[in-house]
Amino acid sequence: MSSISLQARNVTKSFTSGPIHNTVLHNLTLDMRAGELTLISGPSGCGKSTLLAILSGLQRPDAGQVLALGQDLAELNTHALERFRLQHTGFVFQGFNLFPALNALEQVELPLSYLGLAPGEARRRAMASLEEVGLGPRMSLRPSELSGGEKQRVAIARALAKEPDLLFADEPTSALDAANGQIIIDILHRIARTHGTTVLCVSHDPRLVGHADRVLAMEDGRILSDRVPSPTSTPTSGLEEPSA
Amino acid sequence: MVALARKTLIYEWRRFLPAILAVGFAGLLQLLQAALVLGIFGSASVYITGSSADLWAGYPGTQSVNLGRSIDSGVEMRLRMDPAVAAVEPFHWVDADWRGPSDTGGVSVFVSGINARPEGMLFAHALSPALRARLNEPDAVIVDRADLDSLGVGIGDTAVINGHRVRVVGVSNGLRALGGVNVVASLATAAELDTDPSNASRMTYFVAKLRDPADADEVAARLRGNRAFGSYDVWTAESFARRSQLYWMFDTGAGAGVLFLAGVVFLVGAVITSQTLVAAVIGSVREYATLNALGVGVGALRKVVMEQAFWVGALGLLGSTVLGGIALALARSRSVPVALGPWTTLACLALCMGLAIVSGLAAMRSLRRADPATLLR
Repeated sequence: MSSISLQARNVTKSFTSGPIHNTVLHNLTLDMRAGELTLISGPSGCGKSTLLAILSGLQRPDAGQVLALGQDLAELNTHALERFRLQHTGFVFQGFNLFPALNALEQVELPLSYLGLAPGEARRRAMASLEEVGLGPRMSLRPSELSGGEKQRVAIARALAKEPDLLFADEPTSALDAANGQIIIDILHRIARTHGTTVLCVSHDPRLVGHADRVLAMEDGRILSDRVPSPTSTPTSGLEEPSA
Repeated sequence: MVALARKTLIYEWRRFLPAILAVGFAGLLQLLQAALVLGIFGSASVYITGSSADLWAGYPGTQSVNLGRSIDSGVEMRLRMDPAVAAVEPFHWVDADWRGPSDTGGVSVFVSGINARPEGMLFAHALSPALRARLNEPDAVIVDRADLDSLGVGIGDTAVINGHRVRVVGVSNGLRALGGVNVVASLATAAELDTDPSNASRMTYFVAKLRDPADADEVAARLRGNRAFGSYDVWTAESFARRSQLYWMFDTGAGAGVLFLAGVVFLVGAVITSQTLVAAVIGSVREYATLNALGVGVGALRKVVMEQAFWVGALGLLGSTVLGGIALALARSRSVPVALGPWTTLACLALCMGLAIVSGLAAMRSLRRADPATLLR
């Protein structure tokens, strides 16, 4: 069994808007393993995106602890957190968020240049990532010349080229049709398997369930079930897994 | 390194065009304004800058060369006595009234009575020796080409100055005056035109050439303060010219007006440029937020915005330099007084680059909206 790479310990988060105090995450504890694609599913407003933001270090919890690759994210200041994200995490968002002026290869190269890689090495890695998501022949095209599915593949290549240990995807297929959604989730799954990456995907898309190694169903800020969608489809024990 | 700032600028040039135009026109306005002001007020000292004299002796406290009062003719002797002085010559200034052959009414003119010999110092740079020689004819005067219309004369015509008949024997270039019209005459003719009896045996200025022009400050200090020949003061040509220009620039309120206008141009340019850059940042804010999520620091993103501001400034300034050059060439061909030195040009261009940088700093603030957490929903 592969090692635990991402842990949440008693994470609580709430938002206050005017007089209304709304608790989004209720004392959540969970572990995620490297080499697995974990899917968090649930209706919109259930807190799954907030959970992703906290696990990826984009937001801080009100209480509780997040350990990513053994590092307590609460100990890092804003700058150190950026550094951590640069070295270890990749993101794929619902909107593809590609710069209109750059071609696919440049989109992927851009974050690599901030990693301090030599230009040649950055280019080599960018090309390899684009090949991996099947865009080798289209790497000189700008976003306006690519389809939605291709844009999302560029976004995945951009995240993948950094060779991250943790890859977060937020509703990566909701802007795409079924066929393209299928391609995207397959690529994410393959990345988990072949690179040993911890892939955490948040989606309300039920079509993805069958492609995940593990599915966490969330509702009202709590995890309702934690199961492996294998042919047997037996739910694993409770809300909490034993800590490593 | 992917040149994100430049590639975006080229790909989305329509988005950045207003900012480039704002910087360009701000630069053009600053350049032309500076050139016009320096040109117009530079002509306040054309008597000094157009002459080869190193020292000027005149009435104490004279604020501008056109405000000279007469000093004792004995000052000439005092100047000649100094061993550093190589030559001295008088300059006779007469405020006079011109009546031309055409129906132009009375025109206020400044008659400059000068030594018309080829080696004369006054207007040595402004009049050719051949032109000066013509002044030796009795009652001969030279006027500037740009003033022919307002005087209502052509070459060879006669006119009346202070009731005395004169004849226009030639035209000069670049001798336009402020607040009136310059007329150049010989010392003898000027003396005829001066109707003030108190000016007999007195002269407005004496100018001197030094054996070594580098000694000007020292010799001027040595010559002033001697009261044996009545009140007079001695200035170097450089300081007297500057004093005349500053007098016109600030006592007329024009200097304050120019500074005010420069401020307005800067403000308007900065508002347009910063708004355009802010819009450009906001237009890409999700992409910036994604980069930040991937770990590209806010500092690096700020650098991208500042680089865009720099290129907007550089392109704008390129435009204003080209257009400014064309405008100045056009102005020169039309005898519009314009003058622009390298330092003034640099100052104007630096001001506009400052405008672009300030706008970039303002736009940088909107990067705060590039919070990657907002991308998750």
